[in-house]
Amino acid sequence: MLELQNIHFNVPGRQLLSDVSCNIRSGALTAVMGANGAGKSTLLKAVSGEIKISGGQILWNKQHMDTYDPKELSKKRSFLRQNYALQLPFTAYEIVEMGRYPYFHSRATARCRQVIEETSTYVGIQHLLKRNYLTLSGGEQQRVQLARVLAQVWDAPEGQRLVMLDEPVSALDIHYQHQLLGLVYDLAHHKGYTVLAILHDINLAFQYADDVLLLKDGHKVAFGAQNDVFSEETILETFGVSVSLHQPPGYAHRYITVDGRRLATTTHFMQEHNNYSFK
Amino acid sequence: MIACVLLAAVLAAGIGAVQISPLQILGMVFHKIGFDLGIPYNEMQETVFWVIRLPRVLLAVIIGATLAVCGVGMQGLFRNPLADPGLIGIGSGASLAAVITLVLGTSLLAGLSGQYTLNVMAFLGALASMIAVYRISRQDGKTNVAIMLLAGIAVNAMAGALTGMVTISANEQQLRSITFWSMGSLGGASWNNVLGILPFCALSIIGMPFFAKSLNALSLGESDAAHLGIRTERLKNSVMYLCAIGVGACVAVSGIIVFVGLVVPHILRMTAGPDHKRLIGASALGGAALLTLADLVSRTVAAPVEIPIGIITSVVGGPFFLYLLMKEKKKQTLI
Repeated sequence: MLELQNIHFNVPGRQLLSDVSCNIRSGALTAVMGANGAGKSTLLKAVSGEIKISGGQILWNKQHMDTYDPKELSKKRSFLRQNYALQLPFTAYEIVEMGRYPYFHSRATARCRQVIEETSTYVGIQHLLKRNYLTLSGGEQQRVQLARVLAQVWDAPEGQRLVMLDEPVSALDIHYQHQLLGLVYDLAHHKGYTVLAILHDINLAFQYADDVLLLKDGHKVAFGAQNDVFSEETILETFGVSVSLHQPPGYAHRYITVDGRRLATTTHFMQEHNNYSFK
Repeated sequence: MIACVLLAAVLAAGIGAVQISPLQILGMVFHKIGFDLGIPYNEMQETVFWVIRLPRVLLAVIIGATLAVCGVGMQGLFRNPLADPGLIGIGSGASLAAVITLVLGTSLLAGLSGQYTLNVMAFLGALASMIAVYRISRQDGKTNVAIMLLAGIAVNAMAGALTGMVTISANEQQLRSITFWSMGSLGGASWNNVLGILPFCALSIIGMPFFAKSLNALSLGESDAAHLGIRTERLKNSVMYLCAIGVGACVAVSGIIVFVGLVVPHILRMTAGPDHKRLIGASALGGAALLTLADLVSRTVAAPVEIPIGIITSVVGGPFFLYLLMKEKKKQTLI
């Protein structure tokens, strides 16, 4: 269980996060959503310790996050980004092995090799392990990184594994998007992982998220089970977009449509458009 | 690879104006530690070996290994396979200090000028420019690697300009010394030199492998390394200090030997892979072997004239490196 209590984060002249509180469950996938600049990445950085929050507290399993030993914490908490600007031609195996670095000094232990095997199988990249990472496709690279991130927390006790994903599927095609989110969903529901993911696509959130945190300008708009959180009103408030939500009969989840043509004729857009073209 | 280094060392120790066969070298070494193998050698060979050849070969081994290891460290630190220790101003600072010593030394440091003053001054110059670059790149208590790179370029340019100004005021003899120094040479090798740089070089060669895993993780990105529980600030500082101390010591004794720090890690990355757990050790051995052979060539190819070793490393290393690039380009595995 990850508890965020009244999180504030300021940079000189601006408040990037303001009084954000929520309890993020283990065994569930929580999506963080909001427009660009709403503070989603900042929130994840606060949880990952990359930035020091200006106010509030973050508790991980009832203990203050910053009182953990960094090495111990790295065995429980891991982070997957959207893409990695790797320059050196590591093999996929070497990348996954990096996830085990907190566990060995100079040579990977037998347990490490076993975990690498297990996570690679789980993610379905066994056949890629000997390949040069740089020659893999975007989707393959991202799965290799997922295997690394999982290998890092694989040995932590159930309920103590936190995986954060910063736009994990934004650069992937539809096939890989669902493959990766399906894996992550399975981790949360069948292995008790706590998953905190920034997602952009509301339709993906409908399918895979259990809980949703909506952010706008650093404030919390809504937090809770996705069915309670997503409504045409909250989406308008969060993203400034009028949408329609639909529940097809016989489907497990809703889906969203946006009338882009209607959006283009709203006054706000017109004003902006005029400003740019006639000034 | 260890065999390669030994072979290169034995070759380099044996070839020259006074020829010494590998067996004779074996005999002399064993004689020194108290065994007599009954291999005949004369007194001149013994003197040449112990006083001239061995320190020089050891110097080449130590400097080659240090430059290559520091090259790996810098490339890992900057997450760029084209980085080398010269980037953060080590070479240019050392040059400036050395040139000042060579040109103005006789008047400023009357009585002090001499080989050792030059060495110490170059070492101090290297450290000074490195510390300047490092201080500039500090930001909110963190080291900004991109700023470090750019500050290094600026410091290099400024030191280069000052070096040029001092050089203009040099006389004929001093110009010769400056030219030789800036092309690098192991000609001044002595036991004092070897023992002088050994602690510094040993520190970087032995210290760097401790950061192998961290350097691997750093290649993912700085924050990702931190997520793996690595203290990235400590890592950056340590690697930089190791490089500054090691390369500073090398430059102080040998002048600027280009290319070893850049090319050796590159070549070995193509064969041993980018994993620093293997790469650092392999580069140390590769650098040692390469520089030993380069030094052998530098003093034998046009004997009795010595070609500066920096020329040899560039002449041989450059085309070889290009050849490797072409080959790798076809395989599409580079960078």
